[in-house]
Amino acid sequence: MSETPVDSALAVLAILARETGIAASKINETTELVGDLGIDSPWALQVLVEIEDELDIEINDDEVANLHTVGDILKVVATRFPAPS
Amino acid sequence: MSAFPNLPEALAAAARESPASGLTIFDRRGRAVGRRTFAEVLESAKQAAARLAAKGIRSGDRVVVALPTSFDWFDIWLGAIHLGALPVATAPGAVVGASRIQLAKLIGVIAKLDAKLIVSTESLAKKLADEPVSPASSSSPGYPVLDTPLPACMTPSAIADMNPASGFEIARAFPENTAFLQLTSGSTGFPRAVQVTHGGAIHNALALDAGVAAPHARDSSGFIDHWASWVPLHHDMGLISNLTLMLKGVDLHLMPSEAFLGRPRLWLEMLASGGRTVATAPNFGYQLCVDRIGNAELEGLDLSNWQVAFSAAEMIRPETVSSFLEKFGRCGFKPENYRPGYGLAEATLVVAIDDTGGVPRTLPVPQGAGFQNAAGGFGLSEVFCVGGPVLDTRLEITAPDGSALPEGQVGEVRASGPGIFTGYYNDPEATAETLVDGWLRTGDLGFLDSGELYLTGRLKDLLIIRGENLMPHELEWLAESTSGGGGLERAAAFSVTHGTDGARGEQIILVLEVSHKDPAKLEALSRDLRVAVGHEFGLTLADVVLVKRGLLPKTTSGKVQRGVIRDRYLTGDLARLA
Repeated sequence: MSETPVDSALAVLAILARETGIAASKINETTELVGDLGIDSPWALQVLVEIEDELDIEINDDEVANLHTVGDILKVVATRFPAPS
Repeated sequence: MSAFPNLPEALAAAARESPASGLTIFDRRGRAVGRRTFAEVLESAKQAAARLAAKGIRSGDRVVVALPTSFDWFDIWLGAIHLGALPVATAPGAVVGASRIQLAKLIGVIAKLDAKLIVSTESLAKKLADEPVSPASSSSPGYPVLDTPLPACMTPSAIADMNPASGFEIARAFPENTAFLQLTSGSTGFPRAVQVTHGGAIHNALALDAGVAAPHARDSSGFIDHWASWVPLHHDMGLISNLTLMLKGVDLHLMPSEAFLGRPRLWLEMLASGGRTVATAPNFGYQLCVDRIGNAELEGLDLSNWQVAFSAAEMIRPETVSSFLEKFGRCGFKPENYRPGYGLAEATLVVAIDDTGGVPRTLPVPQGAGFQNAAGGFGLSEVFCVGGPVLDTRLEITAPDGSALPEGQVGEVRASGPGIFTGYYNDPEATAETLVDGWLRTGDLGFLDSGELYLTGRLKDLLIIRGENLMPHELEWLAESTSGGGGLERAAAFSVTHGTDGARGEQIILVLEVSHKDPAKLEALSRDLRVAVGHEFGLTLADVVLVKRGLLPKTTSGKVQRGVIRDRYLTGDLARLA
């Protein structure tokens, strides 16, 4: 269970690495889901469900429609795990 | 149901006869959002109709419905039908990403159909409002542009907040009147709007129902308890399947396609949950189940009540069928319940169904004279029987000059019957090309054997990806504009079926001419192309081939020869720079 923004981001990278077989160290915020990772739309939807389940969060449909890069996913996920002030 | 002249009367009768049946909608995570009986669905649609009337929508007006699978969708689409207006269902927006081309296409459709109202989600309405009304030609591959202001764009909740018009009456349409418009790709990728009549829709629903229920029963009454679907409602298969079941009073369980794509097992769980069940999907849906449902997930899944798994709307691949039957046979799914069929929007939906009740059958593709070497050949050595023509429908295989060919020879499939469309809305030229002496030219290639149809390929260079049509033209335009070669560096897009990846269906290959040889620049361009295609279409390219400028063969009129390029790619004769 991830509790901090950093943990949740690492968890997302680990899921993407596991799903695509591409090393997490080669994935960064500017990595394109389709163009770089080869994740087409059906696959992307499955990856999002994995992320939602593992982090116990929900991403709403409007947010789903605007995800292009790994950074886009991390931004949405970060809103669910605000840094302690 | 054929006793009724129009959809509102036929639907009302079905709702009276099956008061317990209704519509249950699920969300992206597979949770039930709510349930309405069909009587409630129709009552809600009539209220929406009265509000649309108050908004100034009249009989014959085009209403674009760009909504996900929801009660709102049924309110607006059926509401427009009750009003005598023509609903036009479109994709509610790209699944992943905001696509420039898709938006330009939607604006082109609005212009071409002179739509009076767009009903959409809030996010799509915002994107439309932000888009320049007349996008520069550089932002789309030559789609029509609006020369008038964007028509009213409303969300379903804004419509629900309106006061209904008083004295509203349901339009009393005749069978030959157009009921709705169904979008399908034209030769450049810009959609054409198929006119479907009340009579055609009711006929085709009846034909689909009879084909699905046979040979066990005359129709689905008492044979089917419920129906579960994820196929989007802007897709002819999703739309007509659902209309069919509403007309037959069969309980309907619908989930958005995103739910299925995210977790295919949800669909099968839904199928397993409610007694005797039927489902339809294009080939890719069955393949996704094979690919994405692990053996461990088969545990506890009982598919023995799955009466019919109808597969149509894209090429049925032998590898998909055999792996699906092998995997889900372990859950009790019976091979004879896999039901291949064939249909297209211009025939409302269904043209042929294999309703013999046996296991799916194949025949080798005939060799020798004919079309089988056309660029659109699927490259399969064996193809599935998609059955004989449905109710009151005729099939013919024709030579390029339009003359009929005997059984066993490959030619263009033509169909005639009550479900055939009356023309494309506001497009007499395209209509004249497609409807010839009452026969629909399908653009598909196939042959007949004992009166049953076998599909072998396509005349058009159409790519069918995940059951949705895509024209190579659109990908090529995107590639050429991404490379910035000013139109001098040409592109060719086509699909291939790789041996080992065959089950995955069509793989897209993009070839582009370039004017330099710098490896770093070539690699960067290759990535840019993949990113652009990903953003616009949510698609991955199986291969990006960069070649020297001028290398791609073209016709005298300057069109790239995709078939020749595809052959060279497959034989390794394309000199690639990267």
